[in-house]
Amino acid sequence: MDISTPVTRPPDLYGRPRSDSFMQKLAAFSDNAVTRLARRSTPPRRPPATEMPVIRELVVVAKHQEAEDVVSLRLATPDGGTLPPWQPGAHIELHLPSGRKRQYSLCGDPADRHRYRIAVRRIANGKGGSAEVHDALGEGMRVAVTGPRNAFPFAAEASLLLIAGGIGITPILPMAREAARRGLDWRLVHTGRSRGSMPFAAELAELAAAAPGRVSIRPDDESGVPEAADLLCVSPAAGAVYCCGPAPMIDGVRRAFGGSRASALHFERFAPAPIADGRPFELQLGDTGRVLPVPYDRSALDVLHDALPDLPFSCRQGFCGTCRVRVVHGHVDHRDRRLTATERAAGAMLPCVSRAPEGERLVLDV
Amino acid sequence: MFRAAPAHPERPSEPIDHHDLVLQPRDVTFDWGATPLHWLPGEPFATHTFDVLHLMLPELERWFVRTFEQALPLITDDRLREDVRGFIGQEAMHAEAHQEVLEHLLAKGLDPAPYTRQSEWIFRRVLGDRPELTPAAAHAHLLQRLALIAAFEHFTAYMGHWILDNGHLDQAGADPAMLDLFRWHGAEEVEHRSVAFDLLVHLDPRYRRRVVGMLVTAPVLTRLWIRGVRFLMSADPELDERVQVRFRDYLAAARKDLLPRPGAFARSVLRYFHPGYHPTQDGSTQQAVAYLAASPAARAAAR
Repeated sequence: MDISTPVTRPPDLYGRPRSDSFMQKLAAFSDNAVTRLARRSTPPRRPPATEMPVIRELVVVAKHQEAEDVVSLRLATPDGGTLPPWQPGAHIELHLPSGRKRQYSLCGDPADRHRYRIAVRRIANGKGGSAEVHDALGEGMRVAVTGPRNAFPFAAEASLLLIAGGIGITPILPMAREAARRGLDWRLVHTGRSRGSMPFAAELAELAAAAPGRVSIRPDDESGVPEAADLLCVSPAAGAVYCCGPAPMIDGVRRAFGGSRASALHFERFAPAPIADGRPFELQLGDTGRVLPVPYDRSALDVLHDALPDLPFSCRQGFCGTCRVRVVHGHVDHRDRRLTATERAAGAMLPCVSRAPEGERLVLDV
Repeated sequence: MFRAAPAHPERPSEPIDHHDLVLQPRDVTFDWGATPLHWLPGEPFATHTFDVLHLMLPELERWFVRTFEQALPLITDDRLREDVRGFIGQEAMHAEAHQEVLEHLLAKGLDPAPYTRQSEWIFRRVLGDRPELTPAAAHAHLLQRLALIAAFEHFTAYMGHWILDNGHLDQAGADPAMLDLFRWHGAEEVEHRSVAFDLLVHLDPRYRRRVVGMLVTAPVLTRLWIRGVRFLMSADPELDERVQVRFRDYLAAARKDLLPRPGAFARSVLRYFHPGYHPTQDGSTQQAVAYLAASPAARAAAR
């Protein structure tokens, strides 16, 4: 949509040959308000930075091995003060000493206002965040934390199935405890490679002892790799399913969900999916001639955002259209599901997902 | 006036206070193939009272997006900036979803163009940018428009909560796709109900600013709505052209709970003038989140 198209005063609603008096009055009212503004000269001011400490420094007060490759950390304020409250499904973001930022679900007790607990699985061929938590973050060390924020809110429906794959148990565990506390009709299924790799076995056993028949543990090496439909088969009629685990598991559950008896599916929306088949290319910022290289494993939006921090964007998945830019020169590999053929022909591009062929330079009108 | 800590935390019905929600747009897919023009059977007045939103919202919400994009660089609170980004994406999705319904109306023989042309003009020209303004005046203009948006968001949050609570529309045989559109939209309005207000207060905490926003928004919106209902009733090919639109039609529909009741609606507007008002005092994020996980349109797009 080109909003610069001059819009002339619209005709009457019923096609009568006269101008619409209400439209005229609205325009006059607005023009008058704007004219009065023009006489004022209070300069724009940015509000002072918020007093709420969004980033706080916490201390690792305990570190435990919870399973093969999984450690849990308990974090507290240096002076033992209270922490911001949270609800099941919430996460915090750790700002690691290397500068990496990683989000981890809180898996402790929301009623404990003095400690947060997170659990981290070491990802052997990851980008190093989990290894840094395992190797470099010891008891007594300080770490900057933002949050908590919740991208996986728990709505406490009357009947629930909680599905956790491996380390995906972290947000699910507080949900199960909350469901038990509220007396809801709940079930929990925890899957993983083997019992030794699945964290919090003791805590789940404790939950299971208090609520017989509600918790089932399904290690792949004992019961085989479960199909999504098998996991969903115990879902309650018209109930809600909460699923957290590796991406293929969530995708499987989403696909199989239509065949289940449940009516609502909650899953954690880990925003941008990994870039598939990404090749390096370049962005040129308008006439400034400034050229930004886009590596194979970053989106054009991420690169643009570093250079232009106020660039609007939202979904980062190619459907909302907020990050739209205009390409004046270059061939775009469109990967969004929003733009029409006409819009693409006019040069529109969604840099959150769309890319360019290897070595191509896209000249943007920004 | 935030919700006090519950006295009996073990009660299963105790609401969950989700004030730390990450706002994210949701992809949706609607199929209008089976939706009749009068999607509330036998209730053209109530149908078209809802339908006014399709005529107004695409342009209105795109205007929200453009205005909020201008405000983004002014925000100094990281969390609010994230919320505004989520808000922008959600509003952009709402605009597209309602835009699709306009095509559906046209296919059913109702041409919405005379009204949508006026919407375009209002939200692009009347409320759009004024390039002639100095930077200082342009900033004041931005604040004025943010105050209008915060007031408008009070209505959408009220309507969102109302339609999530309402079971009468289902009983009246409302078309499931249309009901899902309004409930999906309403649920996201409830979910992000404090963003516009928090942004306004962040940039201009004065009570006066907020009140002026509502004093302009409430009457203009009411007038635009009435004009929209009149227009749709007259442009509806399935109704007699000379059909009358009367206030008692609204009262009759409200008595059947197919539309919000006037008293409750008026009281909600008055709450906005309370100095201690905050949007989180009305509506339930928990209810909104539960609906969004069940919305057929959100699940259809997730395939």
